[in-house]
Amino acid sequence: MSTEPQAPEDAEPQVPDEPAPAAEPLLEVEDLEVHFPIRRGIVVERVVGHVRAVDGVGLSVDAGGTYGLVGESGCGKTTFGRAVLRLEEPTAGRVRLGGDEVTALKGERLRRFRSRMQMVFQDPLGSLNPRHNVDMLLAEPLKVHGIGSKEERRKLAVETLDAVGLPKSVMERYPHEFSGGQRQRLGIARALMLRPDLIVCDEPVSALDVSIQAQVMNLLEELQGEFGLTYLVIAHDLAVVRHLSDRVGVMYLGKLVEEADSEAIYENPRHPYTKALLSAVPQPNPEIEATRERIILKGDLPSPANPPSGCRFRTRCPWAEDVCAEVEPEWRETAAGHKVACHFDL
Amino acid sequence: MALLEVEDLRVAFGAATAVDGVSFAVDEGKVVGLVGESGCGKSVTSLAIMGLLPKGKGRKARAAKSRNGKVPAQAEATGPEGTGPEGAAGDGAVPPGHGGAVAATPQGIAVGRRSNRGGADVSGRAAFDGVDLLTLPPAAMRRRRGADLAMVFQDPLSSLNPVVPVGRQITEVLERHRGLKGDKAVKEAANLLDRVGIPDPLRRLKEYPHQLSGGMRQRVLIAIAVACAPRLLIADEPTTALDVTIQAQILELLKDLVDSEGTALLMITHDLGVVAGICDEVNVLYSGRVVESAPVRDLFARPTHPYTVGLLGSIPRLDLGTHEPLTPIRGSIADVIRWKDGCAFAPRCDRVAPACVEGEPALVGAPHAHRCVMAEEIA
Repeated sequence: MSTEPQAPEDAEPQVPDEPAPAAEPLLEVEDLEVHFPIRRGIVVERVVGHVRAVDGVGLSVDAGGTYGLVGESGCGKTTFGRAVLRLEEPTAGRVRLGGDEVTALKGERLRRFRSRMQMVFQDPLGSLNPRHNVDMLLAEPLKVHGIGSKEERRKLAVETLDAVGLPKSVMERYPHEFSGGQRQRLGIARALMLRPDLIVCDEPVSALDVSIQAQVMNLLEELQGEFGLTYLVIAHDLAVVRHLSDRVGVMYLGKLVEEADSEAIYENPRHPYTKALLSAVPQPNPEIEATRERIILKGDLPSPANPPSGCRFRTRCPWAEDVCAEVEPEWRETAAGHKVACHFDL
Repeated sequence: MALLEVEDLRVAFGAATAVDGVSFAVDEGKVVGLVGESGCGKSVTSLAIMGLLPKGKGRKARAAKSRNGKVPAQAEATGPEGTGPEGAAGDGAVPPGHGGAVAATPQGIAVGRRSNRGGADVSGRAAFDGVDLLTLPPAAMRRRRGADLAMVFQDPLSSLNPVVPVGRQITEVLERHRGLKGDKAVKEAANLLDRVGIPDPLRRLKEYPHQLSGGMRQRVLIAIAVACAPRLLIADEPTTALDVTIQAQILELLKDLVDSEGTALLMITHDLGVVAGICDEVNVLYSGRVVESAPVRDLFARPTHPYTVGLLGSIPRLDLGTHEPLTPIRGSIADVIRWKDGCAFAPRCDRVAPACVEGEPALVGAPHAHRCVMAEEIA
């Protein structure tokens, strides 16, 4: 396992980049589509349809900012995050990171480019190799990219561990020896090792206990300032997204239905789905719970292989009218920076 | 008298004590919450009440000794087959603090240690309508389980039989406890599915669990649980695996049951939002003990135990602004000390004082009870 690293050519460890001045978009995504073919047949496989996991999503994330992508299971948010990093091949659309077109990269250039974008996964135990100790886990990204000597890598690992609040003494330990919260810190440390510009956090706290969730969320905020990071946070928990994000997009069945600044979307949700989601979140306050109006949606998410005609939300929408089944609502800006895909002004 | 009265419930797996003297009561038509993080003993409490834990062989000796203090890991392996189900079931009636049973069993036999693995030693009392469930013989418990008391589990996919159509899984309960047969049972099953809000119930009855969505599976589980109009329903994280919009549907359904049928509901959850929405009374568990117990409004208005305060401070809330730092509890649940040496929460507590680790803190006050020696100073 621990083979000596080949002496790398460019042996200077990367220094953390200075945070870029805000409001310049770092990540720009245009009309991203990811369709998975459905195959039937035993000897000869035929494609009989497509699951439209992501069906035309565009967004941009400011440098140093946090974009929260929220939606229920099956809405395509995870696939979107993976497609942005090219862990999933997009069917169509463009992704640009700091002006470079990620979707146009191939082979070695793509591999090298990956050091600028990293991911934090939901399940910290499943995403850490159980047979690697912390030293190996953290050094691996550097080895892959041929950065630093063994000593330099170790030094950087210790620094990064310190940044995520773990002591140097854990270097020789294995993932199973840590608690859930500590493992997630390790997952974050590994993503930080290459000092990336963008980190995609896919459900970063949903596997953790409440008291530990708060620790990890505070840590993510601290690190953002310290390393000048830009986050794309993917989560199903609206309160988590609200807490971390500057801008929030709500996804339903492969499409964005609403996008606005964090405050605006929670103060003044425009799309019926966003309204229903917000009204469904149980709040830790019995006074609010006793009086609050809930919009209880009927039924389940339709199949993304065969989405409803017109507006995709119409089958569950309490306000749906005939026009919703016929015409797909356009993605329009109703107020400054507040976009919504609905025929009506609710 | 409350419908369910749990007194001094203790559950130990070998040397590890999962539940360490939990007491609470559930009235008819009321919802009582057990709240805590993973490992606090909330699920084990519910399984013990339902009699669903594998039995430890040396239960009698173990139970008696655990009250007297520390038990070496080997000691619970006692007379090999001597304490059968009957003997074991008898010990729940031993009043707390009574240590007389120790003499009856040989001690310190190391041989049985492996064979006892996974077994739970349960003691205390869980009186349902005056009858102690922990002492009921297995056959009598089987008659009650499903009929008088029923349970809804967290993961509906693994709690349903994957190779049996859901209809058959519902009619099984109806046949067993209500004596319904054939068409009558099927009709009743369809009624039940309709009641829990599943459209086209006759078609759904023929389907297998994998053909249903997560929310629908959870509804099927609830339909099975309420098939015999149980007087007590235990719901163990019934909405944790579900999306928020589906969670809202299921919570509404459970609330409806409590309001219309007067069912007593024991709600086990880690989500304080769910607690605020559905519970009348709340018990906060930490490391196997109740650390705070109060009517729901009191608990949220005046949380007293530092752990409860910490939990509330840890939750990101919709009504608070973006980027406001949360106030998490430091450390993790692994950093506990034994209750008998002091407060198990002390290593993570910000307000810890020397008094906290001088002996067991008691649960004081009513109806708002807390287990914190520093509570007066904090308030």
